[in-house]
Amino acid sequence: MDKGLLAYLLIPLLSAVIIPFAARNRPKLADILANVTLLAGLANLAWLALRPSIIRGEFADIPGDGFSLLLVAAVYLVALCVTFFSAWFIEEGLPNRSAYYSLILVSVSAMCGVVTTTDFFTLYVFIEVLAVTSFALITTDESGAGLEGALKYFFLTFPASALIIIGIAVMLMSLGSLSFESLRFFMASDLPAGPVTFGAALMLLGFIIKAGVVPFHTWAPDAYQGAYAPVSAHLAGIVTKVSGVYAIIKMATLLRFFDGRAQALSEMLMFLGLLSIAVGALAALKQTNLKRMLAFSSISQVGYIVLAAGLGTPLAIMGAIFHLINHATFKTVLFLNSASVEKSAGTTDMDKLGGLEHTMPWTSWTSIVALLSTAGVPPLSGFWSKLIIILALWEAGLKGYAVLALLFSIVTLAYFMMMQKKVFFGKKTPAAESSPEVCAPLLAPVVLMSGLIVALGLLFPYFYVYVKMVAERILL
Amino acid sequence: MSNFAMEWYLIAIIVFTGFYCMLASRSIVRQLIGLEIVSKGAMLAVISAGALTGNLVFAQALVLTMIVIEVVVVAAGLALLVKNFRVHGSADIWKLDGLKG
Amino acid sequence: MTTHNLLFVLAAVFALWAVMAKKLLTSAIMLALVSVAVSLIFFDFSAPWAGVFELSVCAGLITVLFIGAVSLIRADEDKRPENRAFAYALPLAAAVFAIAAWFYLPPFFEELAAGRQMAAGGGTIGTALWGLRRPDLLGQVLMLAAGVFVIKSVFPRRTENK
Repeated sequence: MDKGLLAYLLIPLLSAVIIPFAARNRPKLADILANVTLLAGLANLAWLALRPSIIRGEFADIPGDGFSLLLVAAVYLVALCVTFFSAWFIEEGLPNRSAYYSLILVSVSAMCGVVTTTDFFTLYVFIEVLAVTSFALITTDESGAGLEGALKYFFLTFPASALIIIGIAVMLMSLGSLSFESLRFFMASDLPAGPVTFGAALMLLGFIIKAGVVPFHTWAPDAYQGAYAPVSAHLAGIVTKVSGVYAIIKMATLLRFFDGRAQALSEMLMFLGLLSIAVGALAALKQTNLKRMLAFSSISQVGYIVLAAGLGTPLAIMGAIFHLINHATFKTVLFLNSASVEKSAGTTDMDKLGGLEHTMPWTSWTSIVALLSTAGVPPLSGFWSKLIIILALWEAGLKGYAVLALLFSIVTLAYFMMMQKKVFFGKKTPAAESSPEVCAPLLAPVVLMSGLIVALGLLFPYFYVYVKMVAERILL
Repeated sequence: MSNFAMEWYLIAIIVFTGFYCMLASRSIVRQLIGLEIVSKGAMLAVISAGALTGNLVFAQALVLTMIVIEVVVVAAGLALLVKNFRVHGSADIWKLDGLKG
Repeated sequence: MTTHNLLFVLAAVFALWAVMAKKLLTSAIMLALVSVAVSLIFFDFSAPWAGVFELSVCAGLITVLFIGAVSLIRADEDKRPENRAFAYALPLAAAVFAIAAWFYLPPFFEELAAGRQMAAGGGTIGTALWGLRRPDLLGQVLMLAAGVFVIKSVFPRRTENK
């Protein structure tokens, strides 16, 4: 475990424990404590990674492999947006308010545990913590839909955990140890890789289910749609990405896909990645509910990351990492905006909405920024990550995959344009007439994230240097 | 056949039973029971792997952690079940079809 | 070593019974018996710590939780009996699986066992947990905290609503 980043795990845990006691008589204190904890962590991270001297030195002084640090920053950023949003979103009388913030903080520390660990079993332990917290978060508003989503999540995620454990048992037997390094050394050696690959395949299957990759995606739309509105941003933006997709990228680098070990696994991952790009995008075209459409779009974007991770070349891993971060930014914006629409208009059914751009201009424009980034329109950040992924595919000689990936990114643009037209443009519907713009604090997180999308796109050279450093460190 | 292969063969049957139960049953309680059976099989696999490689102490440390996790998971699952029973008035998984598309 | 395999068979039989039992209460009790069989297997492997924990926590605590939940929803179970076809099909499915797997799985597992890496082992459970698995202990603490907050969140105290 990375000792330098341990504080990012322990401090949220500490404040999660303090919140119920501190907020017993003053419920507002829970909001303040959660936000201050996350903001302090984020400020600390910015100091660690964005000092001018570090940027001038091309990030060579970053501790650890850089990947953990980047993901811890993404976790804190998304969680801060969600808690800040929730502080104004939660109804006054919600009885489990302090438990809600405690659960978010516990999930933040679990995610930090996931991204800083260097051992398969510890990874499993933290992923279990994350799963337990996330289905409690889904049911926060005690609605029937939330319970349904949570139960579906529950009954797909824990069998996946059992598969991971059986994979760990195989690893323990044929590797003798469970640390990431031992797997890396084993794959670099000339020993026959059969049993280890079998164990890795079982674990990858578990992570694929947890990431919501087609054909195991059925829980994802239900969980995202049924979830309490800010929670769906937390879940889609970061939780499932850390619990599933991060582990897939990590496994891809440890199994050394780039020098042709475990070829079958690599090909399977790439195929499933392309399948989820296609199924997610085509299913999103048909949806009438805003949140459900965003969920399918999320499945499709996860497909790009899995496709790149399955390819496993340094360029593809860079693309995967970059797309993971970008996914966190634009999905947070889109889901938080859907929460705003839900609060203001009272529904997320796209047939009942329309013409919201007149009454909710900020929500409308930040959505446009996020969806253009998702679809990969230059110069926004999503363009660069998709470009890197497609270039990596082309370079590896997989021209068919590259063309299909490009094609489905146009489908992405199509369904988002349809959504924008139905929800924000066009004639005002009765539901839109009576829906004023949400208050400024609810807009602050999405404006911040949209700014980040534009900034990441424009300051791409700096970010490229960082991600290149990460890819070099984790692949060596 | 070696002892180990026999153990894992029987573990495979236990895990199959658990997954069958989760796939076939409609009752949420029974699905949880299936989940428990699967995780029992996984624990046996870990201990058996540890015994085979002379690493039993390490495997026991893993199983202790797994037991703690299992308790919390089951408690949380049953909490969801009871809550769902209060809201929907049923413990039938196929009655949950409000979300579609 | 026959007792050893017999215990495995016993665990499998209890598992089948737990799935097939008509009443949920019987299922819960059979699950406890699976746990007992598993903990006996642990003792037989000379893994006493895992055995003790399995016996006290899984066979004890989890069974109590299950029986509590089952008694809460018993009314529903009597009102809407489940379709039992899947339970009657289980012995057949399990038999088909067992026979088919008999030809394929043992050779595969032999191969797995051939590729094993012997570990140094040794030490006590305390040093293994504290020395090697310290991050897991942190994970356990986090898990217990998460459990408390989950229960708090799912069953909140309603003071102002009622």
